[in-house]
Amino acid sequence: MKALADVRVLDFGLLTAGANTSAMLADLGADVIKIESGAYLDPFRVVGKPDNNDGWWNRSPQFRFTNRNKRGVALNLKAPEGQRVIRELAAHCDVVVENFRRGVLDRAGLGYKDLSAANPRLVFAAISSQGDTGPERMNVSFGSTLDATSGIASLTGYEGEEPRISGMDVNYPDQIVSLFATGIVITAVMEARRTGRGAFLDFSQREVASFTLGEEILAASADPARATGRCGNRAEGIAQQDAYRCKDGRWIAVTLDRPDDTLEAFCAGLGSTAAVTSLLARGIAAAPCNDGNDLLHNTALQGVTLVRDERGGLVKGLPYRLGGKGISIERPGPDLGQHTREVLRELLGYDDAQLKKLAEAGVTSTAPTIGEI
Amino acid sequence: MQKMSDDNALPLARFTILEVNDTNVPLCLRLATSLAAKIAADLGASVLKIEPPGGDPVRRTPPFLPQGESALFQFLNTSKRSLVLDLASDAGHSALRDLLGKADAVLFEEPAASASLLRTARATPIEIAAFPVEMNAASRPVSEFAILALGGLLHMVGEPARKPLRLGGHQASYAAGLTAFTGLAAALAARDAGQTAPDVRVSLAEVMQWVNWKAVSGADASGVSPGREGGNSEFQIVPCRDGHVAVVYTVTQWPATRALIGDPRLADAKFNTRAGRRQNIAELYEIITPWFADKTRAEIQQTAQAKGVPFGPIFSPTELLQTEQYVARDFLADMAHPTQGTLRLPQLPVQWNGRSFAPRPAPELPVSELAA
Repeated sequence: MKALADVRVLDFGLLTAGANTSAMLADLGADVIKIESGAYLDPFRVVGKPDNNDGWWNRSPQFRFTNRNKRGVALNLKAPEGQRVIRELAAHCDVVVENFRRGVLDRAGLGYKDLSAANPRLVFAAISSQGDTGPERMNVSFGSTLDATSGIASLTGYEGEEPRISGMDVNYPDQIVSLFATGIVITAVMEARRTGRGAFLDFSQREVASFTLGEEILAASADPARATGRCGNRAEGIAQQDAYRCKDGRWIAVTLDRPDDTLEAFCAGLGSTAAVTSLLARGIAAAPCNDGNDLLHNTALQGVTLVRDERGGLVKGLPYRLGGKGISIERPGPDLGQHTREVLRELLGYDDAQLKKLAEAGVTSTAPTIGEI
Repeated sequence: MQKMSDDNALPLARFTILEVNDTNVPLCLRLATSLAAKIAADLGASVLKIEPPGGDPVRRTPPFLPQGESALFQFLNTSKRSLVLDLASDAGHSALRDLLGKADAVLFEEPAASASLLRTARATPIEIAAFPVEMNAASRPVSEFAILALGGLLHMVGEPARKPLRLGGHQASYAAGLTAFTGLAAALAARDAGQTAPDVRVSLAEVMQWVNWKAVSGADASGVSPGREGGNSEFQIVPCRDGHVAVVYTVTQWPATRALIGDPRLADAKFNTRAGRRQNIAELYEIITPWFADKTRAEIQQTAQAKGVPFGPIFSPTELLQTEQYVARDFLADMAHPTQGTLRLPQLPVQWNGRSFAPRPAPELPVSELAA
């Protein structure tokens, strides 16, 4: 039995920060019900649009990578009838995960106050750019905005040059928030099981990113004149560390306990594989600078991080190994509204007539209603 | 009904956790272990850190506070207690065995000499390693920098024609530390529900690849791996009057971004699509860069946010201490340290029913127990 086998999650999570937190809960056995609507798709369905053919919204690799092992329900958040159905669903759930801009769910009558009034055991994880309070709470950000505002960019860059961000193919701050938020949600679920009371969990993604610079912020507070900035690949307390280009044109990363001014020439004279092998044999930490294709083909290095769904599509695995194992994919990422009827029948006892009425009123859907993209 | 005192109890207060710091373990693994245990300790778990004679080497690792203590150690070991044990001695080994019998979970690193004992303890093992099991590479030399390269994150930052760059901070170790905390929480939840808890193994190399999944997804979808784009990227860093700003916007935010900059040349149809902007990126930045030059970061952020454009002013750690948003949310805690004065550091990045989790100072090295 998995640790969260008795937990049901109402998932409003979008892109990585929200949707991946609920995906990690699904990995631990939770029944995750992802709520979207034809009027508002998870933006990953759009970003990863592969073609213009019918059903394009169900084929985005980024969406499928992140939302495996979830059920998909499409209910219009803006329609009063959609809001009513979602409130009914929330009464059957233990956890809500959302990363809308602040105020969106409150305006729909689906905020923590509304949902916890009917279900005091609810653990409500609100993940936002700046947190739920403070003068910047309504600020928008996108991925690398937070590289900049968290401090990470100020410490990233070539020696003495301008700061750098991780960029749109990484959006680093978005990737790490779920690694922390999932553990806090689990902790709150334990408390809810014990006390019968849930919690409002307010996560600021910018704070998560700054938290990873804890010692830098602490050192700066004790010594505001402390010099920081960009130093390429060097690191305080490490004798020598950099990327070196090898004879085959590939870069390798090397960290040395003692300086060695012959290293650059040594690497330039050898192929990258031979250089790494030789350095490792001398007890020196070295590694090839892998790209996405290298990762795709190195199954030993992948460990449990990648897995294939039943359609053969590559999707996210686990960041850790539990009980010696990774996960298997029980469901591929859902098509838009794929499980609407199943979930409303199972949890709320809706019959065909009720389901038909919701579909005719446009409250439920299986296709976008947002026009051309 | 709950008693008042329960309202103030910390959520992990009923759990006991050991953090075993054995000798000869790479520093990058220790940082991950200590971060995971620190989060649990700040949440109220009773965390006992077993240090080798002479103490955890992180005590002697920069950055240092002006009075000489390690800021890194202070940050990573808040709210813990410490006990020095020589695990190579029979007495130390036996003391550890006793402690393991009373703990709910134990965190340690794969190359530790005590690992085989810790893996079979009654306490649930949370093991931090450098590499996946499949690599069979427990003794391979490792550094955080090598992990960034292996996991592909290094390939993503910098100029395409120049060397790849690491991200600032201890990102490889800390991403693994956050992961180990979540694994620990899952194990405690299973124990709490009377189930057999799964043992947890976190490798830095797997976490880095998992974080960098878009590189794999991109390579899988198109055959071409994403990589560092530097000056070819749609998102670039531009100088302004008092520093730098990251230009960031989504596809749907381009019209607002164009309106914000307000230069008529941006109305050219070649800038209308993402592909068009990327093809003409040098020209695009020639047009938009001057807009920033005479404005401060604060002015730029305010003007951009008013139009829903997510430009990112770049702040240093020193500047973050004054950030209005962080001050308003009490994100930075003032912690009275017995010998180092008042230290200001980030709290756990969550507010739980409006509550923050104030950290307590890291343990001093218990000199009197060195001979234990």
